[in-house]
Amino acid sequence: MFATLFEFLFKYPQAVFARGELVLASPRPQWMLWALIAAAVAGLAVLVGVRHRRSPLAAWRLAALWLMDSLLIALLLLLLWEPSIAITELKPRQNIVAVVIDGSRSMGIAADRATREEQAVAALKSGALQRLGELYQTRLYRLGAELTRIRGLEELGPPSAPATHIGSSLEQLVAETAELPLGAIVLLSDGGENSGSLPRSALEALRSRHVPVFTVGFGSPDAAHDIELEDASVASRALAGSRLVATVTLRQSGFRGRKPRLSVSEGGKLLASREIALEADGKLQREELTFNVGAAGSRTLEFAVEPQPGEQNRANNTLTRLVSVVGEPHRVLYFEGEPRWEYKFIRRAAGDDPQLELTSMLRTTENKIYRQGIRDPKELADGFPTREEDLFAYQALVIGSVDAGYFTPAQQQLMLSFVDRRGGGLLLLGGRQSLADGVWGGSRVAEALPVVLPDAHDTFQRVPATVSLTPAGADSLICRLVDDPLANTERWRKLPYLMDYQDPGRAKPAAVVLAEMHVPQHPAMPLLITEAYGRGRSAVLATGGTWRWQMSLPLGDNTHELFWQQLLRWLVADAPDHVVAAVSEPLLLDAAHEELSAEVRDATYLPAADAHVAARVIGPGGTSSELDLAPAPNAPGRYQAQWTAAAPGLYVAEVTAHRGAEEIGRGTVAFRRLDGVAESFHTGQNRELLEQLAASTGGRYLEPAELPDIARTVPYSQGGITVRQLKELWNMPALFLLMLALKAGEWLLRRAWGVV
Amino acid sequence: MRLPLKWRSVAVALSLACGLALLVCVPAAHSQADDDLDDYGSQEKAEFYWSRLRYTSSYEMSGYGYGFGFAGWSRDYPKADRQFLMALKRLTRIQMRSTEQVVSLKSDMIFNYPWVYAVQVANWSFTDAEAKRLREYLLKGGFLMVDDFHGTNDWQRFMAGMRQVLPDRPVEDLSDSDEIFHTLYDLGERFQVPGEQYVNTGRTYEKDGYVPKWRAIRDDKGRIIVAICHNMHLGDAWEWADMPEYPEKFASMAFRIGLNYIVYGMTH
Repeated sequence: MFATLFEFLFKYPQAVFARGELVLASPRPQWMLWALIAAAVAGLAVLVGVRHRRSPLAAWRLAALWLMDSLLIALLLLLLWEPSIAITELKPRQNIVAVVIDGSRSMGIAADRATREEQAVAALKSGALQRLGELYQTRLYRLGAELTRIRGLEELGPPSAPATHIGSSLEQLVAETAELPLGAIVLLSDGGENSGSLPRSALEALRSRHVPVFTVGFGSPDAAHDIELEDASVASRALAGSRLVATVTLRQSGFRGRKPRLSVSEGGKLLASREIALEADGKLQREELTFNVGAAGSRTLEFAVEPQPGEQNRANNTLTRLVSVVGEPHRVLYFEGEPRWEYKFIRRAAGDDPQLELTSMLRTTENKIYRQGIRDPKELADGFPTREEDLFAYQALVIGSVDAGYFTPAQQQLMLSFVDRRGGGLLLLGGRQSLADGVWGGSRVAEALPVVLPDAHDTFQRVPATVSLTPAGADSLICRLVDDPLANTERWRKLPYLMDYQDPGRAKPAAVVLAEMHVPQHPAMPLLITEAYGRGRSAVLATGGTWRWQMSLPLGDNTHELFWQQLLRWLVADAPDHVVAAVSEPLLLDAAHEELSAEVRDATYLPAADAHVAARVIGPGGTSSELDLAPAPNAPGRYQAQWTAAAPGLYVAEVTAHRGAEEIGRGTVAFRRLDGVAESFHTGQNRELLEQLAASTGGRYLEPAELPDIARTVPYSQGGITVRQLKELWNMPALFLLMLALKAGEWLLRRAWGVV
Repeated sequence: MRLPLKWRSVAVALSLACGLALLVCVPAAHSQADDDLDDYGSQEKAEFYWSRLRYTSSYEMSGYGYGFGFAGWSRDYPKADRQFLMALKRLTRIQMRSTEQVVSLKSDMIFNYPWVYAVQVANWSFTDAEAKRLREYLLKGGFLMVDDFHGTNDWQRFMAGMRQVLPDRPVEDLSDSDEIFHTLYDLGERFQVPGEQYVNTGRTYEKDGYVPKWRAIRDDKGRIIVAICHNMHLGDAWEWADMPEYPEKFASMAFRIGLNYIVYGMTH
């Protein structure tokens, strides 16, 4: 309606004024126009000024009349100079307009008794296609995972394409018509781009050809009654038997207040579920699920929210995620400087965890070290490691009550490299000779610690201290004693007091304080502080007295074991192996291309740039193939290769690295191809994407009702074969109406003021 | 010659008075001694506390010292404990309180001291609450070392008490290769450590305890939670280590066993 009115008043569509350039077509010099206007205005001013003495009108009224007369004269003079709009137009019948119709499954969603595709076809048949055909060569295309040309709408078929790749398809269209005069593209779609956003290369290809895309959106932005899982965030790697917390993000409309169950399962086996309360329509809602990840292997987890009666699309209630569960025990080296109870109970807690292999060294006397958990009698027989190969064989290092001076500077540097380069975990415990009392603040390891130790002595006190969780600790798996976060915080608050405490100083800016200690007449002190450092992580537990939890809580209470197992697991979990394999996309949704990569480090965890790296990929049905990975440019130790997942299913790639005949290490990564999933998500019209595509290319977003007039909008393009046109403006109805309004207004004012 | 009536009356009255005084004063004296022994409130803080277990004997007597009111738990106390602590301080890096303390099963305070020593355990008995507490103590990570009980009869009475605490766990003999004999010193070869009676009699045994028995009760993970030293008297060896007549070899063995047991209890 507005477009029609606009065109009536201004003679041309809005696009002409939006894209065109205002010019004066008269051959007369422009300065003459401004001079005449100035002269006329000045002359009128003199006339008004002379008559002011005899006129009964006030000065301001005379000024108003003078202004209106001046505008009228200026307008008339302007018309003499032939104002026009210069614009580039497609030459009729010499250009191609591509009409692209989205044929993906989401276009099959019904609304108002017709599917989106049916609405698109109806809109084209309403005259749009015919009018386009009268002016241009039209080519019809069907959009799915790829772009396919069709001869007529009858070849469209039902919307069944499993995926939508608008950007890459348009890029394909531009490439296919590189030698042809492509004037414009009309895209009829719901904007459901499965890659999430338009590739930059596609936009650049369209802009370089000056091809505007006119997008016509179908479908409502939100389904009336739908729950959709937007994301499920969970660690991609875990130790067997670990508890994981997954954060599930969902959005719903039409079911506010309902309480469906959110669950996670694997292979049909339910791992955890709980009831959630749905929040306001359209609001992004985050919920947590805690579950045990189970035994070793590649785990395909399915997160699901219970479908509700009347829900239009149930396929988007489920998300799949892959977790690689490692079964081999991870090794921890624990050095304790004096016999104490914390040592005993840490050993007992770790001993109950099959994923942890705790090797410990205890200074029982000045000259004796008691070793436990060693693999053979020679291990650590010469004391704390002095070589990288020996220390780097462990994934974590725990240092108890021993002063820094016990270790040589080289050993301290080794500890720092253990965290920084090897990627191991380092934990310092409180004790008589720990932290500040052990002069660790002046050691080379201080750099890796998550705290700045106090410049004081006697920071260790055998005084009871109670504990509490910080907000960060309430979210942390290390401190999760019970699944419910609120109940967990309360559980911590009620823990028995610690036998002692040590002031750890202040946390560094990048560190996270998970728990605090409380001692009467003292401000709260950090108890458990963690930080990522280099490729590894470090932590301080500023007490040697958690053992009291074990001895004071009821028999069978596993608080102490659980805490220590989770803390030690955190220390070792992400310590990399010599070969770390990865893929660009753990889940391929209706896609096949995968990039396989590997980080290879030698025995001292330096990048191995001279390795031979190969992968064996086992796919669905036991299919197996092998490929070599090539060194990545400018990234020593990194190797990569491309892979195509030909069929849906689970793929496991085992990467092996050799240096000559010697094997450096192995790494495994799994990925899965899922088909028929992508189209089930984000089924609402993605108007934002369609508007962005149109705006970026010089096109325009149209409602379906505007499609019949597309032929009047498309011509104004710089793509294809164009001609520069001058469109006259002197006979615009709006101009005549303006002149009439000025004159009539002046007369009415004179009459009102009694001078007519 | 018979005393006049009034003197007989006086004698009876005096006897009654003495008896009453004993009934009042002896427990009072013992209570005072008990208070001296209840030293949970000691100001010296340490990682390790030498904790001697006070128990209710099967003769329902509890006290300190010899003679009337003698109770087995305090045999050799406190000299044995104190001398052992000297060895502990000298020979290990354990940070301990310099004086001994006594613990009981009447309160949960015992859970703050995961290593406990008990002697003359043939005399011990437990109420239901005490047995439950000791059982929990051991299963949660506590360690009990028992010493100074000899022969068949003592063993049976010891086991009567032990079965109140851990009725479901077997007692086994320790082998020379067991880890407890190698935590600090290698004690693969051991011999019977006699009490002080050896000085005068030359006998290493008491009663019919001719052969030393190194025994233990383990938890589900195979860790020793009760270390049983039957047919030997380590406490006496510690107590009389400074007596020239008491052979050094017995004292040395006794100290080493004790130290090994403590290190084991602090590492397993």
